Amino acid sequence: MTEAQPAGVHTVDALLEVDGISKRFAGIQALGGDRGLTVDIGRGAFVGLIGPNGAGKSTMFNLLSGVLPADSGTVIFDGKDITTATSHERAEHGIGRTFQTPRTFESLTVLENVVVGATSPGEQLRSAFGRSWRRHEAGLVDHARDILGQVGLADREAEPVTDLSGGELRMLGVARQLIRRPTLLLLDEPTAGVHPLLQDRLAELLVELHSGGMTLVVVEHNLHFLLAIAEHILVLTQGRLLAQGPPADIRGDPAVISAYLGEDHAA
Amino acid sequence: MNWPQLLITVATIGSIFGVVTLALNLQYARGGMINFGIVAYFAVGAYTYAIFTQPSPKGLDQYAFGLDWPWWAGVLAAGTAALAFAALTGWPTLRLRGEYLALTTFAFAEVFHSFLLNERRIGNGTVGLSNVERPFGDWGPIEEKYVFAAVAALLLLATLLAFRQLLASPYGRALDAIRDDEVAAESSGKPAANMRRQVFLISAVPVGLAGAVYAMFTTLAQPSLFTAEVTFIVWIALVLGGERSVYGAMLGAFGLVFFEEVVRAWPFETVRSAQIAASVEHIFTGLLFIAVLRFQPFDRIQRRMKART
Amino acid sequence: MLFLQYLTAGIVTGCFLILATIGFSLTRQVEGFLNIAHAELLGIGAFTTWWLNASQGWHILIAGPAAVIFTALVGLVIARTIYDPIRRRGPAVLLITSTGVAFVIGGVIDAMVGTGIRTLDIGLATTYKPFGIRVTDYQIIVVALAAAVSVSLALFLNRTRIGLAIRARAVNPELAASRGIDVRTTSRVTWLLSSGLAGVAGVMLAVIATLTTDLPFHQILQILAVAILAGLGSLYTVIASGLIIGIAMDVSVYWIPAGYRPLVAFSIVIIVLLFRSEGLAGTKAA
Repeated sequence: MTEAQPAGVHTVDALLEVDGISKRFAGIQALGGDRGLTVDIGRGAFVGLIGPNGAGKSTMFNLLSGVLPADSGTVIFDGKDITTATSHERAEHGIGRTFQTPRTFESLTVLENVVVGATSPGEQLRSAFGRSWRRHEAGLVDHARDILGQVGLADREAEPVTDLSGGELRMLGVARQLIRRPTLLLLDEPTAGVHPLLQDRLAELLVELHSGGMTLVVVEHNLHFLLAIAEHILVLTQGRLLAQGPPADIRGDPAVISAYLGEDHAA
Repeated sequence: MNWPQLLITVATIGSIFGVVTLALNLQYARGGMINFGIVAYFAVGAYTYAIFTQPSPKGLDQYAFGLDWPWWAGVLAAGTAALAFAALTGWPTLRLRGEYLALTTFAFAEVFHSFLLNERRIGNGTVGLSNVERPFGDWGPIEEKYVFAAVAALLLLATLLAFRQLLASPYGRALDAIRDDEVAAESSGKPAANMRRQVFLISAVPVGLAGAVYAMFTTLAQPSLFTAEVTFIVWIALVLGGERSVYGAMLGAFGLVFFEEVVRAWPFETVRSAQIAASVEHIFTGLLFIAVLRFQPFDRIQRRMKART
Repeated sequence: MLFLQYLTAGIVTGCFLILATIGFSLTRQVEGFLNIAHAELLGIGAFTTWWLNASQGWHILIAGPAAVIFTALVGLVIARTIYDPIRRRGPAVLLITSTGVAFVIGGVIDAMVGTGIRTLDIGLATTYKPFGIRVTDYQIIVVALAAAVSVSLALFLNRTRIGLAIRARAVNPELAASRGIDVRTTSRVTWLLSSGLAGVAGVMLAVIATLTTDLPFHQILQILAVAILAGLGSLYTVIASGLIIGIAMDVSVYWIPAGYRPLVAFSIVIIVLLFRSEGLAGTKAA
C-alpha cells in the first residue's frame, strides 16, 4: 500500500510530493520499509497522520521539515525540489511545523516568542544597524497580538515563557508558526496536555485556517479530536503507510484497528 | 603609589580589554560560541598595525616588512586583518560546537603564537616589533597619556553602541532564539549557522582595532604580550561581570585590570614579594572565577529583581 | 642516521605523551569533560618531586612516588570540591571551570616556586650509543615506565572489578549507572588514577626536561592533541596516538625548524577535528 495516491479532497493538485523517503536510526528502519514512503499531500488538504507509537510519524515530520536528512527519496514542495534544503530554507519556502515536545525561547517573553517567528527585515545584518526595521516592527507586534488572541494567550503576552503550562506552550508554538502564514503547516500532537476547552478552540482555529486555504497535516493520538475535523487520514505503522482514506473509512478499517491494538503486543 | 598614573593606565588598558571582553560577550553570551583563542585576533590587530606603520627594516632588524604608512591606515588594516583572520579560522571551525570549538580556537591561537615566534621575517621573533608608530603626542595642554585614555575609551564606547544597537534589533532577537533553541529557531526561518558566522566575524573587528590601540600604547608588538593568558583574563573578566550583560562585561574588564595594575604598581620591597603578590592575585582571581561559575550570583540577582517587579 | 636519531627522540616524546595523556583520556571518558587543569597536575607532580628531592634532600626513588601520591590526592580533592557539584551543568561549563582551576594551580606553583630553572638532585644522564643512536638512561626510563604503566593499567581495567566498572562507565555511562555500578566509587578511583598518572608524567618531566613554572601549561596543547587523535577509544588508541604525535613532532624537525614542533601537534588536532572528530577510536563523541 505504498503507491502514490493523491491525498486531499477535491483536487489532484499536489502541494507536497513525497517519493520514496526513508530513514534509519542505529540499524532500525524508522521510516520507509523496503521501497521508502511515497505519498502526496494535496493543496488545501486537511490531512491527519495517525498510527501507534513508534510508527514513524515524528520521523516523517522531521524529514519533511528538514530537521533530519532523508536517507533516500525526494521531496517536492510546490513544484520545487527541497530534498536537500535545510530546515530554515524550508521554513522560508512556506513549510511550518510544531514539535511534539514544545520548544520555546526561554529568554524571550510570550509576545516575543511569537514575533520572533516572523522574518523581520531587521534580521539582516545591514538593516539591523539602521532604523528601517522599526516601521515593520509595529505591524509585526500587532499581528502577533492578534494571533495570541486566536490561540487564547492574549492576556499572557508580557510574561516569561517559563510561566506557561505545557498545553499553553504548545499553543504558543502554533502561534509562532502562524505569524509566518505558512502554506503547509505540520502539527505534531497539538492537543497533548491541552485543556479540553482549549482543544475545542484549537479545532475551530484549524478549521478556520483550512478554510482560509492553508494545507494542514496533523499528527495526533487523540482520534476523537482529529477524525472530526480532518478530511483525509494517513495511517502509518512501523514506518510504512498502512492505509489512507476519509475518516469514516479509516474508523472501520480492520487493518487499522488491529495495528492500534497490536500496539499492546509490540516489542 | 602613584594613584593618578595608575588610574589613567587602568582607564586605557581597561578600555582596550573591555573591547575584547565585549566581543567575547557577543560571541559567547549571545552567539553561544566558546572562543578560547581570542588573543589571536587581538595579536593580529596589533601586529598588522605595527607592520603597516613601522619604517622599513634596517640594521639588525630581522623583520622584512615595514610600510611606514600613517597611523589611520594601520588602524584600518588592523581591523581588516582581524576580520580576515576570523573568516579564515571561522570557516572550518564554526561547524564544531561547545568544547570542540573551544579546542580548535585554542589550537589556532597557539599556532599563530608559534608562527609569530618562529617567522622572524614577519614578527621579528621574540624581540618583536618596537618601532610602532605612536601617533598622538600631546594635544595642546592635554598630555599624551590622557589622549590615549580618551582614544581607548572612545573605541570602547563605539563598540558598545554598535553591539547594543545590533542586539536590540530583530537580529539580536533572532540570535537569542538561536541560542535558546536552534532547532526551533531554524523552523522559524532563522539561518543559525550563517548568523553565528556573521557574529564571529563582526566581533573580530573591534578586537583587531583594540589590538592596534594596544600596540600604539605599548609601542610594542611582542609574542609574549599575546599568550593564552590574555584569553583567560578576558574570559575571567567576562564571567566575573556576569557573562550575559554588556555592562557586566565592561565592569569585569575594568575591575580585573584595576586589580592587576594595583598589584603590579604596588611598591614591594623585593622582586620576589612582587612576584608572589602577582601569583596570589592570579590565585584569587581564579578562585573567584570558579566561584562565580558555580554559584551564578548574577543570575540569582537578576531573577530576584524580576520577581520583585 | 639523523632521521633515526629523530625517530628515537620521537619515541621518547611519544612515551612521555602517553603518560601525560592516559589520565586525561580517562577522565574525559568516565567523567565526560576535558579537564584543562590536567596539565597543571603534571606541574604539581614535577615540582613536588623537585622540592622533596632538591630542597629536602630525599632520594629520587622516594621523592618520585611520594609526589605521585600527593598529586593523586590533590586531583581527587579538586574533583570532589570543584567539579562534582557542577557536573550537571554540562561539559562546556566544566571545561571552562577547569581553565580556572588551571589558572589557580599555576598561580600556586608560581607563588611557591618562583621563576627560573629548577633541576633535580639526580645524577647526570648517561648516554648510550646503541647502533650509533644517542639515547640517555633517563630517556630509556621514560619508555620503560610508559610500557609498565600501560601494561598495569590494561591489567587493572580488564582484570579487576573496579577496573571493569570504570571501563563500563567509560563506554556507556547511562547503562552502567542503571546496572548498579557505583558511580561515586568509580569516580573517586578514576580521579585518583588519572591524577596519579599525571603525577607520574610530572615526575618524568622533572627528570628529562628543563623545568620552569610555565612548562606544565605548554603540555596541555600536546595532551589535547593526543587525546583528540585517540578519540574515545581504549588505552590502545591513546598509546598509538601518543607515539604518532611524538614521532611526528620530532621527525618534523628534519624538515621544519624545531620551534614549530608544537605546531605539528596542533595541526593534527585541527585536521582531526575537522575531518574525523572521532579520532582513531571511531566512536562518535557524546
